[in-house]
Amino acid sequence: MHVLASAFSTETNFVTPLISGIANGSAYGLLGLGLVLLYKSNRIFNFAQGEFATIAAIVAYVFDRGTGWVPKAPYFLALALGVLASVLTAMLTERMVIRPLFNRPRVVLVVATIGVALLLIGVEGMLPYPQTASLRTISDVLNVRSYVTQVDHVAILDQDLAKFIALALLAVAAFVFFRFTPTGTAILAVSQDATAARVVGISVERISATTWAIAGLLGGIAGVLLAVPPSGSVTPGSITGLTLTVAFSAAVLGGMTSLPGAFVGGLLIGLIEAFANADQSFIPGLSSLPTAQAEVAVAIVLLVILLVRPRGLLGQEA
Amino acid sequence: MATGELLTPYDADAPGRRASLLGLATRGTAFLPVLALVLLLPRQSGDWTNDAIFAAIYAMVGLSMNVLVGYTGQISLGQQAFLGIGALTAANVVHTGTNAPDPFTFALGMVCAVAVSAGAAAVLGGIALRIRGLYLALVTLVFGAVTADAVFTIPSLNGNDAGVSAYRPTAIQTDYSYYIFAVAMVGVCLYVDVWIRRTKVGRGLIALRDNELVASSFGINVLGYKLLGFVLSGAMAGLAGGVFAFWSQEFSDKDFTATAGFNKALIFVVMVVVGGLGNRAGVVAAAAFFALLDPILSGIAHSTGWINYYTDHKAYISNIIGAVLLLQTLIFNPGGLGQVLRPFTRWFGGHPFSLHDEHGDAAAAALAGGSDVRA
Repeated sequence: MHVLASAFSTETNFVTPLISGIANGSAYGLLGLGLVLLYKSNRIFNFAQGEFATIAAIVAYVFDRGTGWVPKAPYFLALALGVLASVLTAMLTERMVIRPLFNRPRVVLVVATIGVALLLIGVEGMLPYPQTASLRTISDVLNVRSYVTQVDHVAILDQDLAKFIALALLAVAAFVFFRFTPTGTAILAVSQDATAARVVGISVERISATTWAIAGLLGGIAGVLLAVPPSGSVTPGSITGLTLTVAFSAAVLGGMTSLPGAFVGGLLIGLIEAFANADQSFIPGLSSLPTAQAEVAVAIVLLVILLVRPRGLLGQEA
Repeated sequence: MATGELLTPYDADAPGRRASLLGLATRGTAFLPVLALVLLLPRQSGDWTNDAIFAAIYAMVGLSMNVLVGYTGQISLGQQAFLGIGALTAANVVHTGTNAPDPFTFALGMVCAVAVSAGAAAVLGGIALRIRGLYLALVTLVFGAVTADAVFTIPSLNGNDAGVSAYRPTAIQTDYSYYIFAVAMVGVCLYVDVWIRRTKVGRGLIALRDNELVASSFGINVLGYKLLGFVLSGAMAGLAGGVFAFWSQEFSDKDFTATAGFNKALIFVVMVVVGGLGNRAGVVAAAAFFALLDPILSGIAHSTGWINYYTDHKAYISNIIGAVLLLQTLIFNPGGLGQVLRPFTRWFGGHPFSLHDEHGDAAAAALAGGSDVRA
């Protein structure tokens, strides 16, 4: 950190990107957890993960406001209903799309998730609500000050802290789940050899449904945490278009097969982006395009990690 | 993805069976309405000509996706970037201010568009195709966003954000004559597609797609062939980009923003799957359908009074239509549109007319049973 810190002129210049990097990185990590889970179990890239998150944000928003015929629900109940909606969406996806295609080549499944993403974007866009879902912050609801603490005059917002804590807890929980619980090990068994898993008495169908439900849960939690201003609001397709790409890079960096890897990769990518944005000369020759700095930095990281260490920092296999 | 046409036994491709003179005459006569549809309908109005050129560009992109998805079994979510690179290169090479370029400069621009896109594909594929699995989808996804935000926005390449003009040479100045040129370029892409299928290249690619391990033990260079497929695909998309630049008569980064591009990338995947992977006729038809979807729907909305609702929701409506077609194709009808057209395309190809396509059934069976490719 000393080396990095010395590259910036003042302390504040270092602290601001550090905090925003961790906040954005937590968002990438949260989405990345769902991506890793489905890669680990089905060997597919789930392009619908971003829309699972969006569904949760929109449903939570509608219940929190009580728009139209929807009754107004207490804040935390609205969040729970949002997450529930994305769990149901994920389970429906599994039942209607993934299961009929389960024995097809993996590329068919990936294309199918692209179709699901397109369909969800379309359906969300047709719903009667103001097209932009931005949830209230926890501090708004509880009527307390909007930041938890300050580091060198840079405020740490409550929703950013919530994202980070949620990411850390979920990464640990998911790791424990796969390592120590019967269901978790059954998911891994099915991913390695579905027929053999069936022979020893594992219900492949039930495991598949469980896996997608968990992916929906992770996506939903990510959605309600991402849709909080000032750092975020959600429109149909916005998470897929803006965040999912980076979340994929984060998951590859951490290792597509490693749940703690999504945590590490998410934070690293978030920090790289934040420091690239903060420093105009981060990538020589691109100083005229400040907005592209972060994107190019992430792309370079992705290419380098794929060339040098395709299994990622914490992954077990390529 | 194993599909339709590609599971045809190799001897069915063999020459030897020729239709009789009468048969040829019948087929020629039956082909006339198709020809009239393609050549005369766009002539009816200026808007129709414009839409038809756009459909031809989409057909080229569809064929480029066909090479990649249909023959190599990889997916690209960055095809719109190659389209943009082609458009950018063509416009900048030909750039002649307000004058029409001479045919030589124009041809040079087109060749450069193809070459630069192919080069970009070679660099990208050289990295992403080394890794087993579908990482190409991720890398191309990131590549698409980066080219949109970091390459197309470079002021010296996009005419300081005002766009680089790309006037057509005098011979193909009018919209209709340019449409004929675009159709000819679709013909070039179709020829490349046929060439790939008929040579060692295509056989190698398909063998790789179906089983990498077996193919490589038969001496097929895995990385080399995959890279070749990706480069050919990028080159075709680059050609489509060149045609696009002279269609809109400029290169503007506003046509290739990251968000719009991402949506296009998804539609390109949808149209090649709905068309039927590996099936030229189906892919061209599906590409034209998706290119013409907006004009057709807005025409319907106009006449039924839903035009305001349609304008507000059109991106979402076409998303839903595309997604539903894609999912139903994957789950119920793996051969796609090409499978439906197959009795007719087979007949035009000189075979006896038959609604029962034994090879197609074999393809569907193979897809349903599943050659389980572990990514």
